[in-house]
Amino acid sequence: MIPPETEIIERTQETMEEMYVNMGPQHPSTHGVLRLMLRLDGEVVTEVTTYIGYLHRCHEKIGENRTYIQIIPYTDRLDYLASMYNNFGYVLAVERLMGLQVPERAEYMRVILAELQRIASHLIWMGTFGLDLGNFTIFMYCFREREKILDLFESVSGQRLNYAFYRIGGMPMDLPQTFLTDCKAFLEWFKPRLPEYDAVMTDNVIFQKRVQGLGKLDQKIAIDYAISGPMLRGSGMKWDLRRNDPYSIYDRFEFDIPVGTAGDVWDRYMVRRLEMAESVKIVEQALRDLPPGEIMGKVPKKLKPPVGDIYSRVESPRGELGFYIVSDGSEKPYRYKVRSPAFVNLSVLPEIGPGHLIADMVAILGSIDIVLGEVDR
Amino acid sequence: MGLMTPDEVVQVIRSEFGEAVKASEVKGVETRMNVDRAKSYEILSRLKEMGFEYLNCLSAVDWIASGELEAVYNLSSLKEPTKALIRVRAPREDPVIRSVVALWSTADWHEREAYDLMGIRFDGHPDLRRILTSEDWVGHPLRKDYKDERLVPYEPF
Repeated sequence: MIPPETEIIERTQETMEEMYVNMGPQHPSTHGVLRLMLRLDGEVVTEVTTYIGYLHRCHEKIGENRTYIQIIPYTDRLDYLASMYNNFGYVLAVERLMGLQVPERAEYMRVILAELQRIASHLIWMGTFGLDLGNFTIFMYCFREREKILDLFESVSGQRLNYAFYRIGGMPMDLPQTFLTDCKAFLEWFKPRLPEYDAVMTDNVIFQKRVQGLGKLDQKIAIDYAISGPMLRGSGMKWDLRRNDPYSIYDRFEFDIPVGTAGDVWDRYMVRRLEMAESVKIVEQALRDLPPGEIMGKVPKKLKPPVGDIYSRVESPRGELGFYIVSDGSEKPYRYKVRSPAFVNLSVLPEIGPGHLIADMVAILGSIDIVLGEVDR
Repeated sequence: MGLMTPDEVVQVIRSEFGEAVKASEVKGVETRMNVDRAKSYEILSRLKEMGFEYLNCLSAVDWIASGELEAVYNLSSLKEPTKALIRVRAPREDPVIRSVVALWSTADWHEREAYDLMGIRFDGHPDLRRILTSEDWVGHPLRKDYKDERLVPYEPF
C-alpha cells in the first residue's frame, strides 16, 4: 500500500541528502528561457533561486533612441501573447503625457480588441497550464478558439501575433466591414465552449486535487511584492485597474471582477477562467454601443510631448502594465521604462515555491503566467 | 480611516522632514516630491505608514547634464486612488541610495535592475547582483554615456 504523501516526504527527508537541480533555461515547463535553481531535499523544494535575463533585448535603451511612434511595434514584443494590450498601454501613456483626446469610435475599437486579446491570452495560458499538468485535450481546445481570435485580428490588422495596431491619438484604420458579424459569430460560438473547458478541466477531480492548496500566496505578501492581475485577485483582493483606476472607456461597461479566497493555484486558475466570460460581456457591450465616426484624433505630425514625466498603468491580462516615460521636449523619450507585470509577479516565486514537490513547482510556475519577453524586456 | 489628500500628504511630509523635501507638486490625485537622499528611506517609510502600501514601480533615470542619477518611486494605495511619485537623486560619482527592500519586497528586483542597467548602488539591499545582463557584464547599459561597439546609433533618413 502506498503511504500518504506526508509520510513519503518525511521518509525522503530522513534518507536523502540535499542537492541542487537546475531547471531551465531550456525546460519546456518554464515557458521560455527562465532558469530556476532548486535546492532539493529529496523531492521537496527547499529553496528557489530565479535567474532571468536570457531574453533581454535592451527594450528600454532602444526606446530612448526611437521616436514615440516608432516604439509602438517594439511594445508588441514585450508580452507577445497580448500585443494589443501592450500597444494600448503604451499609446495611452503617451496620450496622457500629451493630453490628447481619442475619438469615441477608436476608444470602442480599442476596448473590443483589447478584451479579445485578453481572452486569447487567457486561452493560451489555460492550454499550456493544462499541458504542464498532463491534460493535452484542453490545450487543443484552447488553441482552436485562439485561432479564431487571431483570424479576427488578422482581418483587422493584417497580422496574427504582433499587430502594432494602436496609434497615438486613435487607430490607424477602421474595422473591416465583416468584422462586426464575424466577431458576434465568434462570441456566440465561444460562449458554449467555456462549459466544455469546465468539463475537461475545472470539474476534473484529479485536476482539482492536484492544484488545490498549492502555492498559497497570502494577501499581505502579495501586496508586499506588488503582485497584480489575476494573481492578486486570486489572493482575495478585489483589485482591477479597469474598475479601480479606470482608463479609456472601461467605466461604461458592466462586468464582474472574479476573486479567489485561498490564493492557491486553483484560485488563480478560476479567476482566469471566469475572467474570460467577463471579457465576453465587455466585448458584447462594446459591439452593441460602437458608434460611427472618426477613428483618429487631432495629432500633430511631429509628436513632441511637453517636458515632464508620467507613470501610466493599465490592466493587462497579466496584471498592472505600467509605462514610465520621461520627456525632455524632444521627439524621443528621454527615459522609457516598462513596469511589466510578469517581472514583478515572478519575483514572488522564491516565496511561494519552497515546501512543494518538483512536479508541483511546474504547476505553481504555470499559475503565475509569465511571458519571458516581458520579464526580460 | 481614509487616506490623506495629496495636499495634506505634502504638508505632513514637509512639516516632519523640512529641508529634506526639495520640491513638491500636486498633480490631480498624485503627490510629487523631490527628496534628499539622506532622508529618502525615512520619508518613504513614513509614506508607507500613511497608507501607500503598494510600490508600483521603481525606475532609474540618468540626468547626465547635471551629473546625477535619479531613482523614481511610484507609490499607490489599494484602498483609494491616491498616488505618489518620489524622486531621489544621487551624484554620478557616488550613486548610493538607501534600499527600500525592508519596506517593500518588490523593490528587490526593481533595485537589482536599476543597479544592473543604471549603476545605482542601493545601500542595505540583501543581494545586489546583476539581474538582466550576465554576471560578468562591464558597465551599466542604460546610462547615457554607455559605449559599446555593438550599439549602433539610430539615424533618421
